[in-house]
Amino acid sequence: MGSGRVLTLGAGSAYANDRLEPAAAMADSGRVSYLGFDCLAERTMALAQVRRRRDPAAGQDERIDALVPLLAGYLSSGRKVVGNFGAANPDAACADFARNLRAVGLSGTRIGVIRGDDVRDLVRDLDLELPEFGTTVRALGDSLVSANAYIGAEPIVEALEGGAQIVLGGRLADPSLFVGPICHELGWALDDWDRVAHATLVGHLLECGVHSTGGNFEDPPYRVVPNPHDLGFPLAEVEDGSVVVTKLDGTGGAVDERTMKTQVYYEIHDPAAYLTPDVTADFSTVSFEDLGGDRVRLGGARGRPRPTHLKVLVGVNQGWKATGEMSYGGPGCVERARRAEEIVRRNLERFRDRIDDLRFDLQGFDSLFGDRLRGGYPTEVRLRMALRTRDADVARAAVHEMELLYFGPAGGGGAVGTVVPALAVTPAYVPRELVELSVEVVAA
Amino acid sequence: MKLRELAYSRSGDKGEVSNICVFVYDPADYPKLAERLTAEVVQEHFGDLVRGPVTRYEIPTAHGLNFVLERALDGGVSMTLRVDPHGKSFQSLVLDIDL
Repeated sequence: MGSGRVLTLGAGSAYANDRLEPAAAMADSGRVSYLGFDCLAERTMALAQVRRRRDPAAGQDERIDALVPLLAGYLSSGRKVVGNFGAANPDAACADFARNLRAVGLSGTRIGVIRGDDVRDLVRDLDLELPEFGTTVRALGDSLVSANAYIGAEPIVEALEGGAQIVLGGRLADPSLFVGPICHELGWALDDWDRVAHATLVGHLLECGVHSTGGNFEDPPYRVVPNPHDLGFPLAEVEDGSVVVTKLDGTGGAVDERTMKTQVYYEIHDPAAYLTPDVTADFSTVSFEDLGGDRVRLGGARGRPRPTHLKVLVGVNQGWKATGEMSYGGPGCVERARRAEEIVRRNLERFRDRIDDLRFDLQGFDSLFGDRLRGGYPTEVRLRMALRTRDADVARAAVHEMELLYFGPAGGGGAVGTVVPALAVTPAYVPRELVELSVEVVAA
Repeated sequence: MKLRELAYSRSGDKGEVSNICVFVYDPADYPKLAERLTAEVVQEHFGDLVRGPVTRYEIPTAHGLNFVLERALDGGVSMTLRVDPHGKSFQSLVLDIDL
């Protein structure tokens, strides 16, 4: 069991729009010496690249101004923050942190900036294959929006060794935000695969925030947790070979064997081979010991060498996505909604050549599972149209067609519509030695 | 008996691949789960929602199973026009299976 040293880390964020209050509570609790902020999901990077293209000073996490004042006390005591706040623009994130740190009297705070995850030029030069698209990068032409490699704990450790109190970068892989601090503080080598796998297990349990504490979990009457309106973020007490996951006293939710199991195997394929930039982790033999009081001890993760290739998410502009909805209720609501669908389909015929994909669903009837699950006749349904097109005018016209259903079959009510950019993301794989990362530590 | 009576689940996405992990509340039910909730049963229940193969991984230490459903998200989160692009609701469809 090694030296017996325990490092306590807390979750600060699980995605770009997460609540900030639980992070503030975690910071003020005095229990954690590191806060890890995951700010990105698969599409977030591509959306951030679009923002940066419109404004060279944009593309970073948009919560930094609100966050830094909440962390002022925490940071003034020397404790640390790691996050992928950079999204598409790590330097802009660094500037935001520096400005806000000075404003709260923390000038001089050292910020580590990690650059190099943006590999757009590299994937174009290599003309990488896009297996889910069945084509290569160059075939995308101008529709290539972004390409960011998932990068691991190595540059985070380097920044911490360089004295950074805040470490930020772009597409830092979610668990690596915690693997870096754990390996740095506990002195674990980054090729000590079992220990890196253990740190990755910890990161996997923290990076999804309330997914470990009762979020995406309740199914009454089988599964309920206390105060689900106020779920606490998880924190982890890490030592060699084991970790105790818990949450702050007084917060809602639960940390028990069930919430831990659902999170350990969340978004994992082969449990014996979870691939990250840091390790090939084996979670198939993870042990769970419920200690009561919202504390669970886990251990048993094993590791093998990290993958030779880094995963890259390639963002592809696909024009516009339009959606429109209209409700029907009472006897015959399904038939009237189907009739409405026929009318809209007929009137969209004139755009046939410019519509790339079109579908209709009856929400409350078949929208989630098609014909796989059917109850009785519904008391109401909501007709939903969704389409993808390169032509913004077609997108708007389709939304208008749905609104005109006020004059379609009887009793259509509550039209709403949206037009948003259609941005696809698709994976590619690049030899890791070709991705050049850099770390710079600057003073705010 | 519906799976929901004895097990719980969570589904997630990576690109076009959905995974659904399923765990029994009572470890004594794990042999029954492992025997009856096969990849074929899940594939049949999901029908044409899933266009690729379904692979099952056993996790006996957690008394659970992990199902990986390929080409299950109609092109993936960013491409699909489905109401639920992540397949978050798949965790509930699996619990409707009659064991």
